[in-house]
Parts: sequence; structure tokens; C-alpha cells
Amino acid sequence: MQAKMMLGRYVAADSWIHRLDPRAKLTAMVIYLVAVILAEQFAELAALTVFALLIMISSRISLYRYFRASRPLWLIMAFMFIFYLLFDSSGSALVQVGGLKITTGGVTYGAYAVWRMALLVTLTAILTFTTAPVELNLGLERVLKPIRFVGGSPQRWSMMIGISLRFIPTIFEEAEKVMKAQASRGADYADLSFTQKGKLVMTLMVPVIVSAFRRAEELVQAMEARGYVLNAPRTSLRQLKWKQADTLFMALFIAMLVLVLLW
Amino acid sequence: MAIITAERVTYRYQGQGAHGVPALDELNVTFEQGQFIALLGSTGSGKSTLLQHLNGILQPTSGSLKVLEFTFQGGTPERGLKELRRRVGLVFQFPEQQLFEETVERDVLFGPLQFGQSEEEAKASARKAMMQVGLSESLLQVSPFELSGGQIRKVAIATVLASNPEIVVLDEPTATLDPVSRAELIALLHKLCKEEGKTIIMVTHRLDELFAYADSFALMKDGQVTFQGTRSQLVAQPERLGEAGILLPATMRLAALVMERSGVPMDQLPCSVEGWTEWLAAKIADVGLEGRSHFGSKQLEQQADSLEEKEE
Repeated sequence: MQAKMMLGRYVAADSWIHRLDPRAKLTAMVIYLVAVILAEQFAELAALTVFALLIMISSRISLYRYFRASRPLWLIMAFMFIFYLLFDSSGSALVQVGGLKITTGGVTYGAYAVWRMALLVTLTAILTFTTAPVELNLGLERVLKPIRFVGGSPQRWSMMIGISLRFIPTIFEEAEKVMKAQASRGADYADLSFTQKGKLVMTLMVPVIVSAFRRAEELVQAMEARGYVLNAPRTSLRQLKWKQADTLFMALFIAMLVLVLLW
Repeated sequence: MAIITAERVTYRYQGQGAHGVPALDELNVTFEQGQFIALLGSTGSGKSTLLQHLNGILQPTSGSLKVLEFTFQGGTPERGLKELRRRVGLVFQFPEQQLFEETVERDVLFGPLQFGQSEEEAKASARKAMMQVGLSESLLQVSPFELSGGQIRKVAIATVLASNPEIVVLDEPTATLDPVSRAELIALLHKLCKEEGKTIIMVTHRLDELFAYADSFALMKDGQVTFQGTRSQLVAQPERLGEAGILLPATMRLAALVMERSGVPMDQLPCSVEGWTEWLAAKIADVGLEGRSHFGSKQLEQQADSLEEKEE
């Protein structure tokens, strides 16, 4: 299960994207997000796809990994597509069964929605794939700095996000251990029917949630024992350095956004 | 009779890739039926990985493994292993990660019920298992998460014993237990082995606690079994223990010293603390009969000799 859970995992490789400043990557992803949401035509989406593919290839991480990263969202994608099929009535009718009408518009917009979603998930995976958690956290804290002016705490947010990302794989590993214990005592998921599986998954929830709470408490104590105080000014072992490559990377994304806006 | 046979078993964890160091590396081993087997090795030597192969939770990447009548061939995953898991009980290393029900009772009942015992039979098995590990029945209605570390460990062992397996495999079961519970658990396992004919395979870092009890000792290093044999074979090759990163048991160090000083061969010396107590008592009684001065003066002479040697 842990191998299937690719979202939110750092993948070590040596590429220029790995070496970029996390602030550049974070901002670039936000720009990309806006561009994907604004893209409404086939040509725009196609151009974005080519762009995303190029970035993914240059990260030196196999495309299959990006594909796998989208796995948890396949169900939502399927649901979105069906939703468009059933409720979008623009364009000409393709099939009509009783009150149900499937139109060309429904098919196209459904496909576009799924396409957009796929673009979002795969390329944003680049952020967690190519940025070590510590750096990501640091970058996030800097990028979020402006919220201080409205009374927020950038440190709190970046720490919350950082810890959640860090613990996603751990929690899955824990679930896997409980599943092993259940299999050892005669309840193997591989041998069960769909409904039995569902029941067993429910029994999984309690120990995993309990241990997550316990873990959180231990983490708090460990942090306090080492003198962590929220919002206290802190120095960092890693200093973020903005390089020319970062400016270039940002420029690339801004150019792309402008292109989509002008299209 | 061999009950478990591993031939060139290799296991790689997912994500390690084909180039990473495998957790088990062409491992060969044979375990005999009805024996109490101690499995030793430093951390990361592949002990836990090997244990999880014994009931098919992990299956070999290559090589072949035979447990009871079940055969695993590397690369061909087997399913429907319920029967194997009924007959091979596995207690994992971290007990708090193997309890998942709301009460201790439901957790202990889980195995027996899954393996087809009736509600009545399962309850009887659960009570028996709780008694065996020395837990009071009043704990049955408590949530496993309210227990202490040692109690959780005992419950985890009870959940496996309740299914009455033929082979009991335990991964460091004594790690979080206090000394008294530790001795009790080992006595229980020893009894299950000798009186009920169960095969016990137990991983430990403390050779001391099993030195007097186990019939067979297996040492692991870097995913391979580097030594397997009886106590006297192990005693004859103490350097093997060092290689595997295991400390010599105190009783064995004492035996080595006594052998060095008195010339009594190692296999005539006791191997357990109880054995030594009796041996020493007998010696002291001998000395008492022969007169204190005789033994004492001889000892003093020897010590003086060795001191002189050092000075030279």
C-alpha cells in the first residue's frame, strides 16, 4: 500500500528542478493552477499538457510516477465525467434514453474537466517529488509571510502543512501493519469479498486514528522538550538562495499564463 | 522432521529496486518440528523479514520456502493462506500495532472466530490464552489502548495463542516486558514446546534469556543464516556470536572463565543461572568438607602466580 501512495513523497534525483528555490516552485505552481483553471479550449489544454510534460521530463523522474500520483483521484475524475455527461445539455444530442440526454457538450466539457484535473495533480506532484520536506516547509513559510499582516501566523500554517505531508506515508504504513496483523489472524484482504473488505476496513479506522492522535501528542511533547515556541523568531540551517534559474523558471510560467490569457 | 525449509530465499522490499541490498539474501535454513528455536542477530539482519515469511505475509522474491505442506516459489504469489495462518501463529514485533478491536476480548476472539471456531469454543480459547500469558480475565472488557506496554504485549501474544497454532513465531516478545514476566513467558513457551509439541521460533537480542531453554540456535547476519546448531555447537564457536553482533551470555562467560582456570570441559559446566547456583553450592559444600584452607590457599597461589607473570 505504501508503494501505491505516491502523493506527497519526495523522490531523490539530480535535476535542475530539484535544485530550484522552493519559493520559485511554489509560486510557479500557483501560476500554473490559475492557468489550468482559465484554460477552456482544446488548444490551450494541449499547449499546457506539452508544457507540463516538458517540465516533468526535465525533473528526471519517470512519467509513470506522475501517472501513479494521480491514482487516488481517479474515482473523483470518473465522477466528474459522469456528472458532466448527465447534466450538461449544450451541443447536439448523441444518445437519448427517456429523459436522459447525452450531448456532445457534455462529453467535451466532461473530458476537459478530467483533463484539467489530471494536469493539476500530475504537475503539482512535481512540488513534493522534487522538494525535500524541510525545504518545502521553509519555502511555504516565506511565501505565506504576507498573511502576518492580516493577523495570521505563517509559521503555524507551514508547520501544519509540513507535518501533514510528512505523516501521510507514516499513517499508511501503520494501516499496513494492522492489515498484516489481521491477515495473520485469518482475515486476508486478498481473499475477502467486497463487503467483507469494507467491514474490515472499518475496524482499521479505530487503531489508525488512535495511533495518529497518540503520535501527534508525542510529537508535541518532543517539540516542546526541544524548546519549540510557535512564532518565535528562528534561524534555519538551510538558507534559501534565489538564483537566475529560479527567475527563469518563474518567467517560463508567467509567459505560459499570459499566453493562456491572451488566447 | 523438518517443518520449515528455506532454499536460497531472497526477499526485496518494494521500492528498494533491483540494485538495493535485499532483506533476505539467498537464505538457507531448516527448522525441525517440536523444537524451541532461538533466532538471533543484530538489527537489520533480516530476522523480522524471515519471520513474516513463515505464515506467508511476505513471500519470497526468489528461491523456495516450504512451511508445513505449503510451498512458496519465488515470484509466484500464493493466496488462500488461511489454513497456513491457523497453523502458524505470528506475534509481530510491535504489539501496539497488532491490536485493532474495541475490547481485549474481541481482539483475542478475532483469530479463533476467523479460523472457524464457534462462539463458545472461541470464548474458552480466549480465556485459556489470557490465563496462559498471566492476564486476569477482568481485562477482557477493557480497550487495548488503555493497557500498559507490558500488558499490550501479553495481549498480543494471547491473541495468537488463542488460535492454538502448531508453530508459534514470536518477534522479540520479551522486549517490553519486566524481568519477571519475561521469565514467565519463556517458561510458558518452553512448556508449550515440550508438553504440547509445538514448534517455537523466537527472535531475541538477549541470548541470556534463551541460552538454557532453546534446542537450536540460528544466527542471522546481512539476510543470511550464518550459523545453526545446538548449544554445545554454539559454545564451541563463540566467535560466531561476535560476528552476528550478539553478546555472549553471562553464564557462558562464566563457564569460559571457569574452564580456563580449572580445566573442566565446557560441556560439563551448567548453562543456566539455576544450574550455576547448584554447581556453586555443590562446590562450596565440597570445599566445606575438605577444609577451607586447602581450596583457598590453592586459589591464592594461582593468583600470585598470575600476578608475577604480569609483572615480568
